[in-house]
Amino acid sequence: MLSRHVTKDISAYCHGELSSEDSKRFAEHIISCARCRTQFEEVKQGIKLAEQLPRLSAPEHLWRELEPLLAKQAETRVAIRPTLWMWRVQMAAAAALVLVAGMVGLWLYNNRVPSIRTTKPSWQVKRLDGTPRIGSERISNSGQLAVGEWLETDGNSRAQIAVGSIGNVEVDENTRVRLLETHDTEHRLELARGKMSARIWAPPRLFFVDTPSAVAADLGCAYTLEVDDHGASLLRVTSGWVALELKDRESIVPAGAACETRPGIGPGTPYFEDSPAAFREALKKVDFDGDAGVRNAALTVMLNEARPRDTLTLWHLLARVNGQDRVRVYEKMAMFAPPPPGVTREGVLQLDHQMLETWRHALESSWINGGGKFVSKPVAEAYWRVKNGLSRRLKEMAPK
Amino acid sequence: MVMAEQLIDGRIIEACQQGDRSAFQLLFETYKDKVFSIAVYSSGDREVAEDVTQQIFLKLFTAIRQFRGDSEFTTWLYRLVVNACRDEQRRRRRWLPLSETVSMSNPGEKKPQEKQYARLEVAEAVRAAIGELKPKFRLPILLKYIEGLSYDEIAGVMGCSKGTVASRLNRGHSQLARRLSHLNNPSAWGE
Repeated sequence: MLSRHVTKDISAYCHGELSSEDSKRFAEHIISCARCRTQFEEVKQGIKLAEQLPRLSAPEHLWRELEPLLAKQAETRVAIRPTLWMWRVQMAAAAALVLVAGMVGLWLYNNRVPSIRTTKPSWQVKRLDGTPRIGSERISNSGQLAVGEWLETDGNSRAQIAVGSIGNVEVDENTRVRLLETHDTEHRLELARGKMSARIWAPPRLFFVDTPSAVAADLGCAYTLEVDDHGASLLRVTSGWVALELKDRESIVPAGAACETRPGIGPGTPYFEDSPAAFREALKKVDFDGDAGVRNAALTVMLNEARPRDTLTLWHLLARVNGQDRVRVYEKMAMFAPPPPGVTREGVLQLDHQMLETWRHALESSWINGGGKFVSKPVAEAYWRVKNGLSRRLKEMAPK
Repeated sequence: MVMAEQLIDGRIIEACQQGDRSAFQLLFETYKDKVFSIAVYSSGDREVAEDVTQQIFLKLFTAIRQFRGDSEFTTWLYRLVVNACRDEQRRRRRWLPLSETVSMSNPGEKKPQEKQYARLEVAEAVRAAIGELKPKFRLPILLKYIEGLSYDEIAGVMGCSKGTVASRLNRGHSQLARRLSHLNNPSAWGE
């Protein structure tokens, strides 16, 4: 990492307290630094929680109790009667307070009634082809998509959405999207069906797309996302990273890779689009076939067909297969890219979270760079001989 | 309440300095909720917070004569509030974790909807977690989220640098996220 870490600036960045130059430097760094990104996630969650802290109302009786105490204190002071201008100021103040209370009441009321658009944040929509619709209204050139509203295109229309100031989304033909949420720490769309292409230039996890079978979380990237009529989706990443998530299941997809999802299952395992066709076909069976025998046979095909760069797929599979299958996946991975120091076979097979993350971080650069950093098979085997020998000797030396 | 705060101009403060209780009542009505909120979150006890709020306004009634306008009135006021809370802390030897019985909603409020109820649960959990933070991490969070102050203003109130404020907020946010990691699931927020 060439630039310095930015963890100390995370809160200031989220609160808009950094200069535009520092903000830009922050965003550029965090996209490429896993360590700062992890910390960013934590602080962002802390901010989200702190924002839930409500202001409390002081009890009504406070002033009644305070007044006699003030009078007592004022006995030692010369009290001045309110002058005419003071009385006017007080009247104006009282009127303004009533006005403020009225406005607050109206604001609260408006937030309870979804049909009132003027109180809701919105995104600008530009027509690209045909006549897309927002709700029931056709848009000729541009329109506003408010929170809760649907944007729909038919077979001849396309549109572009400006995602606040952080990017844009192109909505293809026969697509239905809805704006779910937009504020400083989160922008969220729902893609019910069709295809969209997103280009986002913001720090990770500010932009999300909900689909019927997973949530796509932007990690600083460009990608396309398609949802078919059954709710299954296909994600293809063209730059950066995207995380696909459903409950505890997560797939991290880098540029050049794709990932499918299924309703009720969630994200499948990511794969590079240039991987062998037999590998991809087998992966589909491993991910979504209901027959254990079919899945087992498909895994064998995958392991035979896997290339060094396919550790992306193998790493994700570690937590998705059990028993002897996990051992087979581990051994294939270790042959391509030996685990870094501190990551043990036992730990990986027991799905030690820290070890899996360490190994992933070590592998990430090769997933981005196309595998140039992988060691050759003879070097890997030599490494394992030395490492296993050392472990055995350390065990022998350990006090009984 | 920004508009209400804008009513507190030089003339109102001058009238308060001359002992005008009507003007002081306006000042009280404008800031009472903010002062009370800080006192509750700091002491963890509603009754103690009521006493602290009264003490702050009693002190303000006299001390406002010393306000010379060298800084913003709000900065000066919050410094008074922070100092009063610190004094209370010293008096009680330690900042007690917020009592489980402290409720954020006023008695008599209508029962919330299910979603609102989930959000209230989250707010209660946040309140409790903030009560467990060290005061040096808790106060910047209260000044930021209850009072809506900028980092410069918080630095002015706390008498430290903007960098220190940023650092303490960072650590406070991280600790909050770790203590409430079970709320990472959106369903916990009623979503």
